[in-house]
Amino acid sequence: MSLLIKDESPEKLIGEDGKRLDGRDLNELRPIMMEVGVIPNADGSAYIEWGGNKVYAAVYGPREVHPRHDARPDRGILRTFYRMTTFSVSERKRPAPGRREKEISMIIKMAIEPVLFLELYPDSVVEVFIEIISADGGTRCACIAVAILALADAGIPMKGLITAVAAGKVDGKLIIDCSGDEDKSGEADLPCAISWYNNQIALLQFDGIMNLEEFDKSIDQIIEALEKIRKLQEEALKKRYIDVRDHLKNYKPKVVTTNNIEEKIDSNNQKNQNGGDQTE
Amino acid sequence: MEVEDIDEFDINQMKDKEIVIPGEVLSEDLTNFTPGRGTTKQGNKIISLFVGLKVIRKNYVNVIPLRGIYTPTEGDKVIGVIIDKNPVKWKLDINARNFGILKPSNTVARTQKFRKGRPDGAYETTEKFSVGDVLIVKITQADRLHHPELTTQGKYLGKRHSGKLIEIPPPKIPRIIGRKGSMINLLKEMTNCNIFVTQNGRIWIQGDNFENEMLLIDTIHKIETEAHTSGLTDRIKDFIINEKTRRGIN
Repeated sequence: MSLLIKDESPEKLIGEDGKRLDGRDLNELRPIMMEVGVIPNADGSAYIEWGGNKVYAAVYGPREVHPRHDARPDRGILRTFYRMTTFSVSERKRPAPGRREKEISMIIKMAIEPVLFLELYPDSVVEVFIEIISADGGTRCACIAVAILALADAGIPMKGLITAVAAGKVDGKLIIDCSGDEDKSGEADLPCAISWYNNQIALLQFDGIMNLEEFDKSIDQIIEALEKIRKLQEEALKKRYIDVRDHLKNYKPKVVTTNNIEEKIDSNNQKNQNGGDQTE
Repeated sequence: MEVEDIDEFDINQMKDKEIVIPGEVLSEDLTNFTPGRGTTKQGNKIISLFVGLKVIRKNYVNVIPLRGIYTPTEGDKVIGVIIDKNPVKWKLDINARNFGILKPSNTVARTQKFRKGRPDGAYETTEKFSVGDVLIVKITQADRLHHPELTTQGKYLGKRHSGKLIEIPPPKIPRIIGRKGSMINLLKEMTNCNIFVTQNGRIWIQGDNFENEMLLIDTIHKIETEAHTSGLTDRIKDFIINEKTRRGIN
């Protein structure tokens, strides 16, 4: 019995009921889950599950640059590493970084760099390591969303968040948030990122055929979808701290002065001993 | 990161402070408010740069970050670990962007250096400390472009031969100290431990027994996770008392 999973995509991507293969509407997003502070040894980290995508991002720095000649005396530098694990796609991916990975690392860096205050850290480097555990279309968008969360968690000063999503065209219809199959056999793919502090486009790539009207309509749909994802990002960043507060909300402190600690301990000990005797 | 910060972490505050994220609009009223620390002006708005707590003091809008690295400042006492040495200097990891530099001449008192009978350069070697040693040092010189210069001359400074070293995020250090040192005094009294808290996020502790030290470490980690909540001191008091009973420490 073969253990290989066949990598075939169906002919029709939109069913007769007007829904997509995974049952979504044309402008519906896949379920998204984000978490911050998942890697204890990193200075900042984040995790995202976006449909079938599972991505970790870890931030280290600002720290010293090696090799030293890469350092800039007037500003810090940003390095991003987009890597896919060998098991993230249906056929084994060779682990060496290829042309595609280098390109995506570069575009993520170019999208993120303008919002960071790297001039506060001259002669140093901030490194973002993005590992894709599972890939299912639109990984570069997921990577941008998760990388900015990890940077915010690391305490790197920034003007605002960045959010990304891909639009596309499948069977002559405009869709939002392409899945893996739609990415491969669709007619067009349009990943787009927006930096929210000035509402400008941070990333725009295009592949396929679309007319100008469709393009404009896609951008409108993208902005609508990005607003939703942005809210999830904001929640994820705050959740880490709000959870602790909520947990402590019903806590009623007993006021104890340091003078009567010993009495308190003695009485507690007695209580415990009594309690212990009863249970035994 | 000194007196002002400790004041901002007001332990007696009745209300939790608002948690803000980068890019969040803190105020649109630029006539009455000025962007303070951790904020910037974007158009006619004041926005936050960090994930942190929003604090308004007088007419300044500040954001206290909840995470971030330590920036060396002149005069700070920090705990460093020697990571490298050569015949003329030691390199110390001080939990900052760059390693600190400690020169042998800065480890000896000036009066000692010129004492009679000492050959020239007797103190100019790096044999005194070895790699891995934990030192409490003071920063004598620090700026954005150079490695910080360190010294071991001063009160409480020098090599630590015993005790334990723990690390927490540097922005949470003011919470360990508390308002006018209230929290640190509480910890010292209740656990019978010596504590030395430094601005780079490292804490050196030494107690009379192992149980007390472990209790103190657990308490510090509790403070770290609950640093952004109110009513912390009372909760910590309760925690220590309960834990003492549970663990059977007197």
